[in-house]
Amino acid sequence: MSNLQILQITFYGAAILLIAIGLYAVVTKRNLIKIVLGLSIMDSGVNLLFITVGYISHKTAPIFSPSVMAKYKTIHAAAQAMVDPVPQALVLTAIVIGFGVTAVALALVVRLYRHHNTTNIDEIRNLKW
Amino acid sequence: MVATNHILVTPIYFIALPLFFAFLLPLLGKIYKSFIRIVPGLMFAYLAWMAVVLLLYVYKTGNPVIVKIAGWAPPIGIDLVFDQFTGFIATVIAILGFLVWMYSYLFKKVEFDNALKYFLLLMLIYAGSIGVVITGDLFNQFVFLEITGISAYALTAFYRGRDGAEAAFKYLLIGSFASTFVLLGILLIYTQLGTLNMADIARNIDKMDPTIKVIAFILLFTGFGIEAEMFPLNGWAPDAYSQSPGPIGAVFASMTSKAGLYALIRLSFTIFDFSSANELLFIMGILTLVFAEGIALRQEKIKRMLAYSSIGQIGLIMIAFSFNTYLGVFAGIFLMLNHALVKSLLFFSASFLAYNSPHKYIKDIQGFARYMPVTALMFGIGVFAIIGFPPFSGFWSKFYLLSAMAEKNFVILIILVLSVSLIELVYYFRVLHKLYFAEPTGEYQPHTPRWNAMLAMVLLALIIIAIGVYPDLVTGFIGKAAHAIMDKTTYINSVFSI
Amino acid sequence: MNTLVVLLLILFGGGIIAYFAYNIHKIVGDIWLVLVGFAASIYYIGYLDVSQVLNIHLAGFVLTLALNSFSWIFGLLIAVLLPLVALYSIPYMKGQDRLGWFYMLFLFSVGGMYGILMAGDWLTLFIFWEIMTWSSYLIVIYRRSEDAPRVGLKYLIFSAIGAYSLLTAIVLIGANVHSLSISKFFEVLPMHSLGFKVLVGSLMLIGFGVKAAVMPLHVWAPDAYSTTPMNYTSMFSGALSKMGIYGIGLIVINLYYHSGISLAGEIVAWFGAITAVLATYYALIQKDAKRLMAWSSVAQLGYIVAGLGIGTKLSVFAGIYLAVLHGLFKANLFMAIGAVERQAGTTNFSELRALIRKMPWTFFSALISVIVLAGIPPLSGFVGKWMLYESMITSGHYVIVVFLFLASVAGFLYAFRFLFGVFLGQEEKEFEHVKEANPFMTVPMLLIALFLIVLGTFPGIMFKYIARSMADLGFYGVTYKMSVLTNDWGQSINMQYIAASLVIVFVLFLIVLTWVAYKNSRNVTTKDIHTSGEPPSEEDNYHFSENFYRPFQRAFAFVYKYAITPVYNEFARGIEDFFQYVRRLYTGNAQTYALYVLLFLAILFLIAKNIH
Repeated sequence: MSNLQILQITFYGAAILLIAIGLYAVVTKRNLIKIVLGLSIMDSGVNLLFITVGYISHKTAPIFSPSVMAKYKTIHAAAQAMVDPVPQALVLTAIVIGFGVTAVALALVVRLYRHHNTTNIDEIRNLKW
Repeated sequence: MVATNHILVTPIYFIALPLFFAFLLPLLGKIYKSFIRIVPGLMFAYLAWMAVVLLLYVYKTGNPVIVKIAGWAPPIGIDLVFDQFTGFIATVIAILGFLVWMYSYLFKKVEFDNALKYFLLLMLIYAGSIGVVITGDLFNQFVFLEITGISAYALTAFYRGRDGAEAAFKYLLIGSFASTFVLLGILLIYTQLGTLNMADIARNIDKMDPTIKVIAFILLFTGFGIEAEMFPLNGWAPDAYSQSPGPIGAVFASMTSKAGLYALIRLSFTIFDFSSANELLFIMGILTLVFAEGIALRQEKIKRMLAYSSIGQIGLIMIAFSFNTYLGVFAGIFLMLNHALVKSLLFFSASFLAYNSPHKYIKDIQGFARYMPVTALMFGIGVFAIIGFPPFSGFWSKFYLLSAMAEKNFVILIILVLSVSLIELVYYFRVLHKLYFAEPTGEYQPHTPRWNAMLAMVLLALIIIAIGVYPDLVTGFIGKAAHAIMDKTTYINSVFSI
Repeated sequence: MNTLVVLLLILFGGGIIAYFAYNIHKIVGDIWLVLVGFAASIYYIGYLDVSQVLNIHLAGFVLTLALNSFSWIFGLLIAVLLPLVALYSIPYMKGQDRLGWFYMLFLFSVGGMYGILMAGDWLTLFIFWEIMTWSSYLIVIYRRSEDAPRVGLKYLIFSAIGAYSLLTAIVLIGANVHSLSISKFFEVLPMHSLGFKVLVGSLMLIGFGVKAAVMPLHVWAPDAYSTTPMNYTSMFSGALSKMGIYGIGLIVINLYYHSGISLAGEIVAWFGAITAVLATYYALIQKDAKRLMAWSSVAQLGYIVAGLGIGTKLSVFAGIYLAVLHGLFKANLFMAIGAVERQAGTTNFSELRALIRKMPWTFFSALISVIVLAGIPPLSGFVGKWMLYESMITSGHYVIVVFLFLASVAGFLYAFRFLFGVFLGQEEKEFEHVKEANPFMTVPMLLIALFLIVLGTFPGIMFKYIARSMADLGFYGVTYKMSVLTNDWGQSINMQYIAASLVIVFVLFLIVLTWVAYKNSRNVTTKDIHTSGEPPSEEDNYHFSENFYRPFQRAFAFVYKYAITPVYNEFARGIEDFFQYVRRLYTGNAQTYALYVLLFLAILFLIAKNIH
C-alpha cells in the first residue's frame, strides 16, 4: 500500500468518521448547542469527503495562471495536471449553505432558550402527536 | 428544443427576479414603506403571467423551453428546463405564489419589519421551490432545496409567541439530514459519472457501478423523501405546518412539498432506471397515506389536522405516480394540482378560523360560521373539494386515480384508498359540523378577513369549481405533462439538442 | 335544444335563482319555488322527448344523457311529488331562516335525481348521485338541532360507503369493459367472468342499497328521515330512496337474470325480506311518529327490494308498482306528520292525543295512505301486495312469503299505532287550540290521497307505464287489464267491483246509521266514558300511549336484542383508538424523528440488494 493510498484512506476514513460523530451527536446529545455542533460536524464530514474525491495527488490547483500555462504549454496538458475543480466549487457552495443553516439553527436555539428557559431538547416538546 | 432567450419571457426570471427583489426589498422599504408589499406583488403577478405564457407556448408547440445559463451548454453548464411537466408544476407554484401574496397583502400591515421579513422570505421560498422544479442540474437542485429549506425554517419560526422556534428547529434538524444525504448521493454520482446534469446522468446511468448506484439512489430517495414529507421521515411536517403563519401552511402544501415530490419523481422516473423505485414509491405512498390520514382523525388542532391531511395527500400522489402508467401519472399530476389548490384554500380559511380561536383547538372554532360566513363557506368548499364531491375539482382527480388503479385491477388498493377517504370525510366533516352547528362559546372579537384575503380565497374557490365543472380546462396540460415525465428519451434529447 | 338539458337547467338554475329570490323576499321565493316545481313537473310529463340522447365529451369521457321507459317511471313519481311538495312547503317552512339555502339544496337534490335517471353512463350517474347525496346531506343538517351533526355524519358516512363502492364498481367497469355506457355494460356483461360479475354486481348493490336502506346499511335512515324537515323527508323517503331502488332494479335484473346468476337475485330478495320484517318490528316500538314512519319506510323498501330480487316478470312488476305507490303514500304520510308537527308542535305519541276532530283532512289523507300501506283493499296497496305474494308463491319462494307475511301483519300494527297515537283517543285540553293545517298543506295531501284511490281502483293507469318500462328491462309481453287482476291459477278479481261494492256498503251503512241514529242523538265527547262504572273526571285521561305493544314486544324480545348500530359504533371507536395509539409515533422529540430517518435509511440499505 503506497503512501498515497494510505493518505486517501485516511481522508475518506476521517470524513466518514466525522459524519458518524455528527450523527451520533445529533441523535444522542440532549443539549441543543451540542446538536447544532453535531450538524456542523456532519457538514464538515461531507465537505471533506467532497474534497477528497476531487483531490488527485501531485496535481495542482485548477487555475490557468500564466505560470502554469508556461509550464504545460497547451490547455489540455494543463488540465490534465490539475485536480477536478467541480467538487471544490460544490464544496464552497455547500460550506456557505452549511454556514447559513448553522446560523439559523443557533438563532433558533437562542429563541428556544428564551421561550423554554432550557436547552434540553427533551423538555421542548410542546408540539407532539 | 428551443432555447427561448426572449428578453421578457424566460424561465430564468423565476429564479432571478425573486432573488433580486428579495435582497433589494430592504432598500425599497427605505424609499417607500408600501413598496415591500407592492413590489413582490407586481413580481408575483408578472411571474404568474409569464408562467402561463410559457406553458401555453410549450403546450402549443410541443417544444420545451430550455435555457442554458451563462452560455455553457449542458452537460457542462446549468440548464433550466421548462417542459410540459416541470412547466405545469412551475405554473401551479407561480399562480399559488401570487394568490398567497394576495392573501397576505395586508397580513401584517402594522409592523413594518415583520412585513419586510415575511415578503422577503416568501420570495425566497418561492424562488427555491420553482428552482427545484425547473433546474436540470442535480447540484443546483440541492442548492434550491436549501434555499427553500432555510427560508422555510425562518418562516416557521416567524411568530415569537407560538412554538414556532421549536417546530423550526425540528424542521432544521431533519432538513439538515436531508441535505447531507442529498449531498452524499450527488457526490457518489459525481465520482462515478463526472457530471451533475440530470439528463447526462440519466443517459449514462448504466455506466455506474451497481452497488454505488443503489447507495446513491437510497441516499437521494431518503433526502428528497424528507422534503416530500414521506412517512416516516415527516416528523417535522405537522409542527411546521401548524406553527407557521397561516398562508405559509398553504405555501408548504402547494410549493415546498411539491418541490420535494417533484425531485422524488424526477429521481425515480428519469435519473435512475430502477424498476423497484416505483415499488418503493408505492409502499411508502401507502404507508404515508394510511398513517397520516389515520392520525389526522385524532387531531385536536385544526392546522395540525390539515397538516396531516396534506401529508396523506402526498402519499396518495406517490401511489398514483408509482403505477408508472399514463393514467396513473395523469392522476398523480391532477392530484398535485388539486392538492395545491384545495389545501391552499383550506389553509387560507382555516388560519382565520384558528386565528380567532383562543387555543387553536377544533372545539374552539364552534359556531364561527356565524361570525365569518364567507370564510366558513370557503372552508366548506375546500372540504367538499378534498372529499371529492362533484362538481368540485377533487372528484376528477379521485376518479382518475381510481381508474388508474382499476386499470391494474388493484381492487384491494381501491378499497384501502377509499376507506382512508372515509376517514378523511369523518374528520373534515366533524370540523364542518363544529363550525356550523355548535353554539359559539365565548366572546371573542373575530378578525374577519380583509378584502384581499377574501379575494384570494374566492378566486381559489372559483378555480376549484371551474375545474370541477369543466375539467378540460386542465386535462390537456396534464395529459401532455404526463407524457413528458414518462418519456425519458425525449427529455434527454431535448436537453442536449440546444 | 335538448329537452333533457332543459329540465336539468330548470332545476339547477331554478335552485340558484331560488337562493337569491328568497333573499329578496320570502314571497318572491315561494312564488319562484312553486313556479319551478310546476314548470319542471309539467315539462317532464308534457314536453320531455324521451328519445333524445345527448353526448357530452368531458375530460376524456363521454357523458350521456338519455332517458328510458324504466327510468321515466321514477321520474314521473318525482314529477308528481315535486309541485305538491313545493306547495306544501310554503306554509310548512314559514318562520324558518335560511330558506334560500334550503330550497336551493332542495332543487339541487331533485335535479340530481333527474340526472341519475337520465344518466346513460355510469360516470354521469355517479356525478348526479353525489350531487344528490351532498345536497340531501346538507338538508338533513339544515336544522341546527342538537342531533343534527351526529345524524348528518351518519348519513354522510353511509352514503360515502355506498358511493365509494359504486365508484369502485364504475372504475372496474371502465377498466374492463373500456366503456362507461350503461347499456353497453349490460350488453357485454354475459361475456365476462363470473368473478367480475359478482364483484361488480355486489359493489353496485351495496352502493344502491345504501340509499334504498337495505339492512344492514339502513342505520342512517331512521335518524335522517326523522331529523330532516318533513317537507323534504317526503321527497327523501318518497323519491330519493327510489333512486336506490332504480339502481337495484337495473343491476339485479340486467346483471343477474340476463347473465345467469339467479342465486344472487335470491340473496338480494332475502336481504329485502329480512329488512322488511326487522324494520317493521322496529317501527312497532317507536315512540315518535316520525321515527315510526322512517322505520316503516325502511320496511316498505324491503318489500320492493324483495320483489325486484325474485326477478320474475310479475314480481318485478309488483316491485315497480309498489315503489311508485310507496313514493306516493309515504310522501303523504310524512306530509301529514309534518302538518301535525306544525299544528300541534310535537310528533311524540306520548304527548299527542285525538287530533281527528281538529285536523280531519289531514286525518283523512293519512288514513288513505295507511290503508294503502297496509295493503287493505280496495286501495292500491292491496293490488301491489297481491301481485307480490302471487309472484313469490308461483315462483316457489314460500319462505320469503312467510317472512313478508309476518312483516305485513306487524305492518297493520304499526299503521294502527300511528293512526291511534296521533289522531284517536281521548282529547286533551292541551290540544284544544289546534286547527287544521293551512290549505296549501292539506290540498297536496288530499290530491295524493286521490291519486292513491284512483290507482287502487284503476291500477291499469299505472300498469301501462310499468309494462312499458318492463320492456326496457327485457321483460316483454306484459299483459294487464285496466282494473282486473288475474292470477296464474285462472282466477281474477275486478278491482272496480270491489271498490264499488265497498263504497256502496259504506254509503249504505252511513245512510242507515244516520237514519237510525239521527233522532235520539247527542253530542259525545271522547271523555264520555266510564271506568268500572265511574265516570272519570275531566283531568283523567285514559289514553293509552306508553308501551303500546308491550306483549308483542315481549314475545319478540329476541328480535330486539340484536342491533347493528352498536357494532358499527364499536368498529368506529376501535379505529379511533387505534389511531390514537399510532399518533404517539410523533413523539414531539426532534431526535426521535432523526432516528426514524436513520432507521428508514438503514432499512433501505438492508433491502438494497432487492433494488434493481
